[in-house]
Amino acid sequence: MRSVWVFALLGVALALCAALLLRTPVSGDLSAFLPRSPSPAQQLLVDQLREGVVSRLVLVALEGESEGTGSTQLAQLSETMRGRLAADPHFVSVNNGARGPLEAEGQLLFERRYLLSPAVTPARFTRDGLHAALERNLELLASPVSMLASEWIAADPTGEMLELMDLLDAGDGPQKRHGVWFSRDGSRALMILQTQAEGYDLEAQAAAVQSIRWAFAHARAQAGMPARLLLSGPGVFAVSARHAIKHDALRLSLIASMLASALLLYAFRSLWIVVLTLIPVTCGALAGAAAVSLGFGAIHGVTLGFGMTLMGEAVDYAVYLFTHIDARNSAASALRRLWPALVVGMLTSVFGYGAMLFSGFPGLAQLGLFSIVGVMAALLVTRVVLPRLVPDDLAVLELAHLAAPMRCMMSPLQRLRLPAAALVVFGLAWLVSQGGARWDDDLSSLSPIAQADKALDQALRADLGAPDVRHVLIVSGTSAQGALEAAETMGEALEPLRAQGHIAGFDSPARYLPSMSAQRARQAAIPDAPTLEQRMNEAAEGLPYRSEIFKPFLAAASAARVSALLERADLERSAYALKLDSLLLERRGTWYAILPLRGVADVSPVSYAAQRTGLPGAVLLDVKQEADALYRGYRDRALLFALIGAAAMFVLLWGALRSLRRAFDVALPIVGAIVTACLVLAVAEVRLTLFHLVALLLVAGVGSNYALLLERRALLAGDSVRSLAAVVLCSGSTVIAFGLLALSSTPVLSAIGSTVALGAVLIVVFALMFGPRPDELVMFRKH
Amino acid sequence: MLRRPAASLALLLAVQCMGAVLVPHSLAEQVGPAVQARGAWGVDSLLLQFAQRREVRAQFVEVKHLRLLARPLVVSGTLLYQAPDLLEKRATTPNVEILRVEGDWVTVEIPARRIRRSLSLQDNPVLWVFVESLRATLAGDAATLARFHRITMHGDARAWRLELAPIEPAMRAVIASIDISGRGHTIREIEVRESRGDRSVMTILEGGG
Repeated sequence: MRSVWVFALLGVALALCAALLLRTPVSGDLSAFLPRSPSPAQQLLVDQLREGVVSRLVLVALEGESEGTGSTQLAQLSETMRGRLAADPHFVSVNNGARGPLEAEGQLLFERRYLLSPAVTPARFTRDGLHAALERNLELLASPVSMLASEWIAADPTGEMLELMDLLDAGDGPQKRHGVWFSRDGSRALMILQTQAEGYDLEAQAAAVQSIRWAFAHARAQAGMPARLLLSGPGVFAVSARHAIKHDALRLSLIASMLASALLLYAFRSLWIVVLTLIPVTCGALAGAAAVSLGFGAIHGVTLGFGMTLMGEAVDYAVYLFTHIDARNSAASALRRLWPALVVGMLTSVFGYGAMLFSGFPGLAQLGLFSIVGVMAALLVTRVVLPRLVPDDLAVLELAHLAAPMRCMMSPLQRLRLPAAALVVFGLAWLVSQGGARWDDDLSSLSPIAQADKALDQALRADLGAPDVRHVLIVSGTSAQGALEAAETMGEALEPLRAQGHIAGFDSPARYLPSMSAQRARQAAIPDAPTLEQRMNEAAEGLPYRSEIFKPFLAAASAARVSALLERADLERSAYALKLDSLLLERRGTWYAILPLRGVADVSPVSYAAQRTGLPGAVLLDVKQEADALYRGYRDRALLFALIGAAAMFVLLWGALRSLRRAFDVALPIVGAIVTACLVLAVAEVRLTLFHLVALLLVAGVGSNYALLLERRALLAGDSVRSLAAVVLCSGSTVIAFGLLALSSTPVLSAIGSTVALGAVLIVVFALMFGPRPDELVMFRKH
Repeated sequence: MLRRPAASLALLLAVQCMGAVLVPHSLAEQVGPAVQARGAWGVDSLLLQFAQRREVRAQFVEVKHLRLLARPLVVSGTLLYQAPDLLEKRATTPNVEILRVEGDWVTVEIPARRIRRSLSLQDNPVLWVFVESLRATLAGDAATLARFHRITMHGDARAWRLELAPIEPAMRAVIASIDISGRGHTIREIEVRESRGDRSVMTILEGGG
């Protein structure tokens, strides 16, 4: 084919890819790296992590920068910030402990108290029930709380409002100083914010975080005191993780490519060659991204970032080519000789990355597709385009001087064959015997959150007395009403457990929106106006109440009897709307009511009570256990596919090399390197995550090329010094790139970085160790 | 119009405590001649005398005039103050009810109902203002007291009346004024006027407890 046509075709293909990418949304949804769930309950769980109330929580702490900043000033800072943020549309609720429930909630509770209070029963409105209430009120009036009591007794003598506040305000709040929430030691003022946007909406979360920072800067400037702002919460994490990944990925990959380029520049002494090495990888990345766009409709930011690193192999293709050009071999003929090894190497990578396609994590599947298409396209470009760009007068690489140091390196290495083989065999046996023990089964290990941030989050949660909800009861219905009724039935079953101390408490959507039947029953419990007035008069007999003062009560109760029922829309503009939406949700036609349990001392009476309600589809969920089981299931699946991928790689090598022995020679360094890398990680007490698995796949993919080039027969037959130089150069740049990634503060990046850098070094070491003896090689015989 | 019970409770407790503290019925014996010799009678010299007590015991009768009730409610019991920060108001009729303030904590106990609740004084800034003014009184710190209340002194050393009017609007919404009156170095009566019209008069009885 004429060069013109090749370049035109390439240009069109790249333009098409670019055009496609420009119209592809880049998503930042980190939950793509959470498993896709099979069961409805687990799906509910993942949905909650994505968009539930929990995902919208922002925990704010204000800390004095020096001993001199007192709690008085921090409280003042907290109040100034609350004032500013309360008016901010990014937040649906801003709470620093000052004032109780917001005005809107208090108003709502008071107006709808007879529909909301579960204590509204017919017995409450009998003569005896009312008399008991009035006597109780008299005691209140004699007590120091008379100031409060006199305020509401006339309108609410049965005390429904107190009932509701007890019910909805349960839980140990944080301590207060100067009227606002503080940590126990008084060093931090605390706030809880809830964002309008869902947790996975990273753009909105970033804007909300920015709002908080501005409010803080403003308040601090106003107060003129040194203080620090600490933020935590899922959204904050997601934003900072994205920032860190962006920042790390950009900064580290810039440094890495500069260093790698410097290495290439040193080796080839030609800027043009360095530029050429980037062509296959760039084309591959564009093709891979376009494939993801076609396959998934959107591309994840993380896929772009990691995908580029996964395509490190594509940089190697060009390096292999350039190292093999010499006086006798033009670019085209060098490529022809290299081609079989390159294709086999590429295919092994494709088999390895293929495992990710089936891992069940949408994020990993994207990554797999990206890398597979990427390396294929890169190799194609290397084959078709690169030779046409190599200048005829390319300085032939003079490598003879490398022979001596390499020999020095190989001889001592090969003396270590036996111990190394023993290490690998026993290491493998030990790893297999360890089974799952070396794996981090905590789902949170997947989250790209730095350890320090996690610790801060836990500290703030402890300060706020808001521990993670671990046990959740889920009931369902075919309609919202059905689910609410089921929640009420379950609530009745849980009440005795709370009284007996098996659970500290629970929440229920029916507390914020009682079912219509419950509301009607409460309306029916209130007698008609004349009857109620008569009973009230009888009840007040002998008590010192002024006559007529209970008119507000009679009016409110009569109105509640015939009022419209409370609906979801009535809760709008109050914090209860969000609360209700998080506890009552619809998924594919089924309504679920979620009852989070607090302080579960013993699970068995809870599950027994739940069963006894006879509600179909009632599930007691141990959130953490469930999530971890979910993760374990996916990890096992990913591991299985990785093993299948590895087996496929071996079969491929066997077929391509047409020799079991040669396939074994190629596989040995790869297996040795992976086992040793796992051992090193185990010794370093690093628990393996799914990302380590990805990294090991990458080691196998990149390493298969090294192993193929350094394979005994290939070395003996070919120009060994060029192959050695190529591998040293490639592994060198891989170690530079991934070694830098290991320095990242993002756990995901550093896990992949350290594992791949380690693996790349180990593969070369193992290949040299088990390769031909130096005196077998032509290059050394010359000396 | 709705206030949290805890806040209002705390507020009330504070008001009551304040009454309890300012009960130096045996002050005359304790105040040294140095104070007397200073001559000019005023808020400063009164507070200075209050600061000298270590312990005060008294009996009280409180008459509550409430809008809701046709006749006044009468509550009686004992009061105890111990330096530096313990206060106890123990009602015996009509119901046994114990109110105790120690350090930063307020405890309400109603034995018949098995109710016992504690809350931190720092739970509420309004309360904090109250308590601080209380401590300022005990410490004889007129400057701090004046930060929270507008203080007016009526009468003379033999028959005086200390009028405290809260400066904070949040406080003023609940309490209109607190009048403490006494003769010489003895507090005789504390009258709390609520902003909504309720009123309570607590008479301190000599030779109590």
